[in-house]
Amino acid sequence: MKLVRGMGLILVAVWSLAPFAWLLITSVKPTPELTQLPPLLPSAATGAHYLAVFTGHPFLRIIANSAVVAAASTLLALAIGATAAFALARLRVRHAPLILVAVLAVSMFPPIATVSPLFLAINAVGLRDTLMALIVTYTTFALPLAIWLLTNFFRQVPVEIYLAARVDGCSAFQAFTRVILPLSAPGLIAAALLVFIFCWNEFLYALSFTSSPAARTIPVGIALFPGLHVVPWGEIAAASIVVTLPLVVLAFAFQRRIIEGLTAGAVKG
Amino acid sequence: MTNHTPGRNCLIVAVLLLAALFGACKPSGEESSSHPPVVVFKHSKLFGDPRPLAQLLAEFERANPGVRVRAETLPAASDAQHQYYATNLAAGAADFDVFALDVIWVAEFARAGWLRDLSHLLPAAEREAFFRGPIEAVTWEGRAFALPWFMDAGVLYYRKDLLDKNHLAPPRTWDELLHAARTVTRTESGVHGFVWQGKQYEGLVCNALEYLWSHGGEVLRNGQVVLDSAANRAALTFMRELLTSGVTPEFVTTLTEEPAREIFGRGAALFLRNWPYAWRLFEQQGSAVRGKVGVSALPHFIGGKSAATLGGWQLGVNRHSRNPQAAERLAQYLTSPAAQKVLALAYGYNPPRRALYEDPELLAAQPFFAELRAVYERARPRPVTPQYVRLSQVLQAEFSGAVAGLKSPSQALIDAQRQAEAILR
Amino acid sequence: MTREHPGLFLAPAAVTLGAVALFPALAVLWLSLEERSPLLAAARFVGFDNYTRLIADARFWNALANTVYFSAVSVALEVLLGLLVALLLARAFRGRALLYSIILLPWAIPTVVSARLWEWLYNADYGVLNYLLGTHVNWLGSPGWALHAAILMDVWKATPFVALLLIAGLQTIPRELYQAAALDGAGAWTTFRRITLPLLVPLLLVVLVFRTIDAFRVFDAIYVLTGGGPANSTETVSIYAYKVLFQALEFGYGSAVAVSVLAVVALLTAVYARLLRGSMT
Repeated sequence: MKLVRGMGLILVAVWSLAPFAWLLITSVKPTPELTQLPPLLPSAATGAHYLAVFTGHPFLRIIANSAVVAAASTLLALAIGATAAFALARLRVRHAPLILVAVLAVSMFPPIATVSPLFLAINAVGLRDTLMALIVTYTTFALPLAIWLLTNFFRQVPVEIYLAARVDGCSAFQAFTRVILPLSAPGLIAAALLVFIFCWNEFLYALSFTSSPAARTIPVGIALFPGLHVVPWGEIAAASIVVTLPLVVLAFAFQRRIIEGLTAGAVKG
Repeated sequence: MTNHTPGRNCLIVAVLLLAALFGACKPSGEESSSHPPVVVFKHSKLFGDPRPLAQLLAEFERANPGVRVRAETLPAASDAQHQYYATNLAAGAADFDVFALDVIWVAEFARAGWLRDLSHLLPAAEREAFFRGPIEAVTWEGRAFALPWFMDAGVLYYRKDLLDKNHLAPPRTWDELLHAARTVTRTESGVHGFVWQGKQYEGLVCNALEYLWSHGGEVLRNGQVVLDSAANRAALTFMRELLTSGVTPEFVTTLTEEPAREIFGRGAALFLRNWPYAWRLFEQQGSAVRGKVGVSALPHFIGGKSAATLGGWQLGVNRHSRNPQAAERLAQYLTSPAAQKVLALAYGYNPPRRALYEDPELLAAQPFFAELRAVYERARPRPVTPQYVRLSQVLQAEFSGAVAGLKSPSQALIDAQRQAEAILR
Repeated sequence: MTREHPGLFLAPAAVTLGAVALFPALAVLWLSLEERSPLLAAARFVGFDNYTRLIADARFWNALANTVYFSAVSVALEVLLGLLVALLLARAFRGRALLYSIILLPWAIPTVVSARLWEWLYNADYGVLNYLLGTHVNWLGSPGWALHAAILMDVWKATPFVALLLIAGLQTIPRELYQAAALDGAGAWTTFRRITLPLLVPLLLVVLVFRTIDAFRVFDAIYVLTGGGPANSTETVSIYAYKVLFQALEFGYGSAVAVSVLAVVALLTAVYARLLRGSMT
């Protein structure tokens, strides 16, 4: 029984990791060997694809764009989301459960259904092909997640603490920023991680709202990678490894927080 | 909500915050476009040394004092470029003046009113200097809306060494191709007979039309849809037979230009249908097929004529350009014989001007130019209609269904006919 | 104490959600009643014309069938496999935290990257999958296989997510119940059927609907893997809507196609909200 379990666990790990291993191998294979099997492993590892990714394409610009968009959207979504979540968790809001359900409904909106009017609106206000268009959109569609998670986390701070702060003369806002927020730091981190990952990975809006390299983000960059005259599998693999690294670091460093957030976001009220 | 005024304050703060961010995030390079003398030229990335093009543009600036040119590149994928131009032009963008259009867009963009009428730059004598295909492609309702810049057409690549070994001549008909592929693959292991572009995308339409046309078939005749014809049925049936006979591998349904070129380039195919760009890559240092590759016009059916789908790029002028005169001069300059010769030598871009195919310097650099000329004389544009994108989506799906064996060729053509009629009605 | 002004706290979120989420969701309904394209001088109100066209559009029904099949099969597999993985991982063992991080990876990376990765694995000519299996399957190029290939990729990506949610659920089951079952001499299977499964059902349903909503919106994976081909055999409703909107530039009809996704998702969301409330009480 124990043996079966052990083998099952190994199988789970291999199933999750094997495709990444192949990606890594591909990224260091010399170009002529990419289209040959066997051998599985390269005769000699090469860094040429990584070099090409950073010299031949506006790749650094694309990574910077993603970083700016994801960071700004995360900050905004958290600031706006935390404020609302505080009210829903601790203040007397009429129909709070109903508001939460409405917020949930927004998070379920299929992007394809909102992309056409948003696109026309973005064109109308002159934001076409800008990072700003993405920041506004991502902030909005990450808000429901932030509100849900943070409402949940704020409720875990005992109500007596909040009331004590109010009795001591704090305004509601002061009690929120000076007492509730610091006490909910782990929850804020969890929410920030999930929102950041959502923004870092988003594709459809980015594909539709931006078109020049100056405003392109990573998923679009990876999807449109093939040039007119080359499908550089080695470079695609190298680029994929590079953009995956930050997420690998997050997954290992903040594993507990992310799982906490995931669970709270999907299945808790 | 009990109190309204503070809410409004919050809104103002939020808007200001967003505005501040907007200022910080605006892509660089957009601010300076308002200076009148700058002509912005948008095109897809040229593969190779960027200097020859830069020199051309510098020369233009010298010849036109007071005008400055800024070149900007777009991603190579044609779909992505179409979306960029269409969405920006529809929004009335004036931040680019001259831009490169794929052959299939001219009618659509002209009909939408996004292009300046350039008919005065193409008088009868000038039209004669170009091949017929590109001129047809830039013409919409009798007016010219772009200038042909460089062109493409489908050609057949074959392995000279393998054909010679089996005492075979380059095929002139599709049956000869089938026969040659069968003969050679019987003895050569690891070599596919014939690879081409069979994925469901624009390239499949280019490929399929070459079979249809070389059997005397058509998509449109005098504005009427004539897809469901005996000639088209026979042509499409032959395409399917390429797969069922094993001459073309089943996975051709995943191939675009590059994967197909790669298979031939590593010596794993006898025949390849592709655009002329592949030639330089086959002949470059270290290529597995260097010196073994021949190029010819595509085969035809018995009783038909060889046909090649026209590809390539044209230069158009944005209707909202703030410098239309300078923009027109730039488009004219870049499509001049001298400029097209530079592009041909530096990047292998094939000029749409007939005379350049007799230029000794070009012929020495591109020995197969003589071969290409005959192909280009006959190259045909895809149906010229403002509804081309919608028409193509139908053709892509139906041709794909027939090639992949999901439906019979006749059913695919019946279905395509019905949908195409609905679109063009 | 000073007044609380809850409205003040809610205003920024309300304004943002209203302007950038709610407004477009209503506007898309309006757009779907128009004929609107850059090819036409001006937008024209056409009533329900786009919807009559939708009902007669064989390509739309094909896309809808593909989407339903994709969602049903991938979610069923994900919940089954996810449950299996959750049962494996629920009990503490050395290195569990590491394994958690590992199974987070497929979920955390951009879908576009995983689609690129699987496109490479699936390559029929020199892909590693055919090599390891010793087969010559035309994974992405045959109408019979392509959609299943997309499903397999989705299963790889989403199973860990499902497993992690179910682990959280398993950990809330009181230990005493298992101890009592052990005292009664119940075997592993009986324990699972009598205790674990019944207590997990509400959560399973929530996860099932949540994943279905997500799967029904599928776009990124298909866009990169196949673009909808061959012969539209992998074209989902979102892909179809995108092609109508941004390639053919028919904003009216494309919006009508998109509204169909909105309608299905709204229905599923109502079910989801009800289930959530049920599992909370």
